[in-house]
Amino acid sequence: MKEIFAFIRKEFWHISRDRRTTLIVLVMPVVQILLFGFAISTEVHNAVVDIVGDTTDPIVRNVMSRIEGNKYLSIGEIHDMPSQAEARLRKGRAKAVLFFERDFDKKFNSDGKAVVRIVSDGADPNTAQIVTGYIQGVLQSEQLALTEEMIGQGRVSMRPNLQLMYNPAMNSSYNFVPGVMGLILMLICSMMTAVSIVREKEMGTLELVLVSPVKPFWIILSKLTPYLVLSIINYVSVLLLAHYVMGVPINGSITLLSLASLIFVGSSLGLGLLVSVISKTQQTAMLLCGMGLTMPTMMLSGIIFPCESMPVALQILSDIIPAKWYIIIVKRIMIQGVGAQAIAKELAVLSCMMFFLLGISIKKFKTRL
Amino acid sequence: MEKNIKTVEISHLVKKFGHFTAVDDISFDVYKGEIFGFLGANGAGKTTAMRILCGLSRPTSGQGTVAGHSILKDQEKIKRHIGYMSQKFSLYTDLKVWENIELFGGIYGLNDKQIVSKTDEMLKALSMENARNMFVRDMPLGWKQKLAFSIAMAHNPEIVFLDEPTSGVDPVTRRNFWELIYKAASDGVTVFVTTHYMDEAEYCDRVSIMVDGRIEALASPALLKERYEARNMDEVFSKIAGRAKREL
Amino acid sequence: MWKYLLKKEFKQFFRDPGMPRMVMVFPLIIILVFPFAANMEVRNIRLAVVDNDCSDQSALLIEKCASSGYFKLLSIAKSPAEAQKTMDRGDADAILTINSGFARYLESSLRTGDPIPVGIKVNTVNGTRGSIGAQYLNTCVSSFIASAIGGIGGASVAGAGQFEIHDSFRYNPNMDYKVFMIPALIVIAITMMCGFLPALNIVSEKERGTIEQINVTPVRKTTFIICKMIPYVAVAYYMVFTCLLLAWLVFGYKCQGSYLDIVIFTFAHILVMASFGLLVSNYSENAQQAMFVIWFFSMVFMLMSGIFTPVESMPKWAQVITYANPLRYFAEAMRAIFLKGSSLVDTWPNLLSLLGLGSITTTWAILSYHKTA
Repeated sequence: MKEIFAFIRKEFWHISRDRRTTLIVLVMPVVQILLFGFAISTEVHNAVVDIVGDTTDPIVRNVMSRIEGNKYLSIGEIHDMPSQAEARLRKGRAKAVLFFERDFDKKFNSDGKAVVRIVSDGADPNTAQIVTGYIQGVLQSEQLALTEEMIGQGRVSMRPNLQLMYNPAMNSSYNFVPGVMGLILMLICSMMTAVSIVREKEMGTLELVLVSPVKPFWIILSKLTPYLVLSIINYVSVLLLAHYVMGVPINGSITLLSLASLIFVGSSLGLGLLVSVISKTQQTAMLLCGMGLTMPTMMLSGIIFPCESMPVALQILSDIIPAKWYIIIVKRIMIQGVGAQAIAKELAVLSCMMFFLLGISIKKFKTRL
Repeated sequence: MEKNIKTVEISHLVKKFGHFTAVDDISFDVYKGEIFGFLGANGAGKTTAMRILCGLSRPTSGQGTVAGHSILKDQEKIKRHIGYMSQKFSLYTDLKVWENIELFGGIYGLNDKQIVSKTDEMLKALSMENARNMFVRDMPLGWKQKLAFSIAMAHNPEIVFLDEPTSGVDPVTRRNFWELIYKAASDGVTVFVTTHYMDEAEYCDRVSIMVDGRIEALASPALLKERYEARNMDEVFSKIAGRAKREL
Repeated sequence: MWKYLLKKEFKQFFRDPGMPRMVMVFPLIIILVFPFAANMEVRNIRLAVVDNDCSDQSALLIEKCASSGYFKLLSIAKSPAEAQKTMDRGDADAILTINSGFARYLESSLRTGDPIPVGIKVNTVNGTRGSIGAQYLNTCVSSFIASAIGGIGGASVAGAGQFEIHDSFRYNPNMDYKVFMIPALIVIAITMMCGFLPALNIVSEKERGTIEQINVTPVRKTTFIICKMIPYVAVAYYMVFTCLLLAWLVFGYKCQGSYLDIVIFTFAHILVMASFGLLVSNYSENAQQAMFVIWFFSMVFMLMSGIFTPVESMPKWAQVITYANPLRYFAEAMRAIFLKGSSLVDTWPNLLSLLGLGSITTTWAILSYHKTA
């Protein structure tokens, strides 16, 4: 046992000597969660809406002032010709254009019907859908007001009662911050581990250590210990920031969350170890983690794009990414505030992954050398 | 060597890294065709000094010329007239033998025809004709060294700098290597070599011994042995460098 | 001199065990796998129902919601608590609660101001999914109620003016997320290739010591750097056009704008990314540090570029940061060219910004690379 502690101590010395790298590894997650937590959002603010119509018309003016008052929309420019509006769309200056047909006032009051066209920039379908939805909402409110004027209040407003669960303010950060947490924890942990171990392989000091009388299993564990510690520090800092700076609630048990995070870190360590076994150079290790792990995790594990929206084949693929399960657990515990029962399945899957990854990489490690 | 022509003239060279003075006011000259040995313990400042002479590092103070060009202002010009072989041999391991020759030949301005003839010449001289297509990483150490040396010489430089060229190699191969050095020197090339194999010190025309960044002795091996009443350079070295305070 | 350096760089590139394979594989993944994942569309909203009315009307309402195509109906829950647990477990996105008295409500007089005995609960952890789910449910319920009572009171509602709303979506009438993401994914691929790789290459030459051998030769540093970049530039163009070709072959997407514009923007972007990578490696003490720092910046650039989430959705201070992000300009331009057919007339501000960034990073990188330490 004494030898193992000696090894662990040596690993910590290595880290404390390369101060810059250690600093980078501890500071990066902090900066990233601050940046991404705030920046990754699909909320629409002040979407620019251009108008093509007769601004002397009171209805048009009403709609315009409603749009200005709407916190998600804002009025852009007013055009006479549709072509001007088209140019604005193409340049990306306006997100949507609202066309009121000619003689709108007359058509509305005399004919009972007048056409309003919403043309939005469909390049980004998500934003387009949201913006169109808001504009429709504005038009509906105006419609409502006009109808009520006509026939008096009553059952015109028929809406069931609506409860927004867990995230009533609809903060985007609730959705994305857990994802960013998982992404950062996993990537930094596995990158750190992989690159450092490969570095030792390259320098030849790894062989030295393996020749000692201590069993390789313990050597490997002692190697992983400092990265475990660093990852725990990262987890704590990221969690604190997510809660206190970004306002993500912690409605569930912190102990449960930390347990899950520990397991997740374990699986990331396993991944890092596995990468270090199959990489011959630091460059390869970095590429595998930096590109090979980053891209699939970012795209497929539900961090940005919801898994439910993916085709079945990809959903199955995403099931083998540990980050996916972790993020589900984090969201449930932090935002929905559920207990162990509700996440039992995900926790079990994550634990299996951890054991599998660690087991297979330790085995390969012993045989490769 | 031709005692009239100086190829390297160094005066009061100093190199500091922060508070640490690696090279502490050294001055010396080297003559054309001379085999000049630069000895010292690890950490004495040999490699640092050599890197300044090659234009790889800028001196903190002092001046000098290498191949007639100033080490302060004309580093790029110096590089056209020198050859260099670093401790790590610095050939591209993922390129083949002939590809390395072609690359460095081309860099120094040899045209295609010259490169081809130089390649044939070199491979023949090194008895490596069969190794033309071998990857450098698959070559034994002794071969890598000889190749690196030949490539450093390929463009007929005036001075060639060798940083511990024979580390890690068996005595026979080392002797062979020195044959190459002798040949170069007799052709008029100045050879500036650092080493800590003391028997190699015997092969040099003159030798300087650096201790803690300063030159403690500079003369031919024969003179030094006389001066310090030693039987061989080993003893000379222990007597001088034994007083060293710095050792890595 | 160029000839020989270039020969060396290309040879090394192709002899690298992983590189050529990666270059081949990347376009395939970018076109064939990721676009299907990159989707924010809200579909398959899992709906749990609590029916306390158990009338024909409530059954009809449930049927209507189920057949609307937006929802995936789960089984009918026995109690609100059970439904809530389903949502807590993450198996339901929305709960429709029909309280007793629903059928009566529909038949009773129109003028009462009673609230509707229907409740909607949505999981808004994902705000977009929640709000769209709520919107759909709302529409289903409202239109059901409206048509149920329509015959009776509908006449009085008519007579007031009605908006006839038509909506249409330019450039992407099918609201296809894939065509929106593919130009952006190409940008990411190029960034990784040209940002990451040349820098890694130079750093490993530094660690191996071969860079010293080059520094001691008369090769000018600019020459060395440019020759190092050229294979990666070639690779980048290869990837761009392979991806475009694949996008056309597999999905039938054609670039609406000019290919020449794409070539120009790609070049400007490569300039920025490659010199940035070089810059980082010049200031790093070892390969590990360089790699981490470059990865960090790659992540920031990618996630804060508008590729995945819009720049307009970011808080003001974050938007300011994106002005220094080359990916923002490149992705915006690529999408504009590919989807909208924009030409330089529309995209020149982006090009100018890219070139501006590029000149800063390139100058700084070259100045900070010292052949003589």
